Amino acid sequence: MEFDKVHQRQREITRLCIQCGLLLLQHGAESMLIEQLSTRLGKALGVDEVESSISANAIVLSTIYKGHCLTSTRKNVDRGINMHVVTEVQRIVILTEHHLLGVDEVEKRLNHIKPLRYPRWLMVLMVGLSCASFCKLAGGDWDAVLVTLLASGVAMYSRQVITSFQINPLINFFATAFVATTVAGWLVNWMDIAKASIAMASSVLLLVPGFPLINSVADMFKGHINTGIARWVMASLLTLSTCIGVVVAITVWGFRSWL
Amino acid sequence: MNLILTLIENMFFAAIPAVGFALVFNVPVKALKYCALLGAIGYACRTILIYYQFPLEWSTLLTSMLIGTIGIIWSRRFLAHPKVFTVAAVIPMFPGVFAYKAMIALVEISHKGYSPELFGTMITYFLRASFIVGALSIGLSLPALWLYRRKPSV
Repeated sequence: MEFDKVHQRQREITRLCIQCGLLLLQHGAESMLIEQLSTRLGKALGVDEVESSISANAIVLSTIYKGHCLTSTRKNVDRGINMHVVTEVQRIVILTEHHLLGVDEVEKRLNHIKPLRYPRWLMVLMVGLSCASFCKLAGGDWDAVLVTLLASGVAMYSRQVITSFQINPLINFFATAFVATTVAGWLVNWMDIAKASIAMASSVLLLVPGFPLINSVADMFKGHINTGIARWVMASLLTLSTCIGVVVAITVWGFRSWL
Repeated sequence: MNLILTLIENMFFAAIPAVGFALVFNVPVKALKYCALLGAIGYACRTILIYYQFPLEWSTLLTSMLIGTIGIIWSRRFLAHPKVFTVAAVIPMFPGVFAYKAMIALVEISHKGYSPELFGTMITYFLRASFIVGALSIGLSLPALWLYRRKPSV
């Protein structure tokens, strides 16, 4: 009877630890953070050890309590980078470590995390302005900046529309790059501006996979070679499909190549 | 005088993409202004280093180490992982144009056939882009590994 109760509790703690790890993995945290936070959550809730194995599309985690092991596995579905979720999970772990939350409260809070989404128009405006700033920083004149602002704004909007249909990210990046280059190329031809290549290069910069690349090198640097390589390959594929989008647009509309 | 004007302009134009990409990464609302500030500080630091004739890769490495250190200090106040601020802040320094030029040269080689110029372009831009990405991410990770080896910072 006593054993059953202890076992039940260990099972609950294992579930919470793996839920914590999975949330972090799905929303773009680096492997070291996933490992550390799930271990800290388990220890704060009272098990002796937490061991985890993280790969790109699954997470395996065991808790050890008084020599008794419990292992669980979850499949990972990428939900896009969301630093808000990562911050919330980290707060829950820290509160648990300070003995402010018990098992039930941790479960309730983990289940009630709602990923933050900024409004569409704000993202379109700010990403357009960002690419326009890249253009300015790269030495473009105001005409080029205006072209970049329009092209990347339209591209960001189409990226969001495609994302809402839940289409494969590789196809999404291809289509967005095609749209960005098409708009920028037509505007450049129409306005006949001098620094056309800077404008056309800057308007696809919203597709640079910055977070996956930085995470992948950080993972490899900190000893998680496997996840690092997986993220590196994914980031390279995204860059490649962006490039194919650009090249197809240039070929279809007969724009001058901007090498 | 000219340097100061360039600096102010660059800081302004670096703060905008830092916020823009922070929105793409869904950074919490309260952290947005820190992202903007850190982006501006970082770009200013790199502009100064390049002005004093440092190579681009080394200035990027030193700058991202500075950003990483500031990120760790802020992360304790905010109770959030340093990457929440730092990745958005280094986005303005990302070698996006280099990476795309390398990839487009690659596609052109397969399209038009081999030529030494295209191949040279591809290798040059590819190496620059990879070294800068390496400098950015290793620079961001180094402070955490040096300063907090025993226990996590937050």
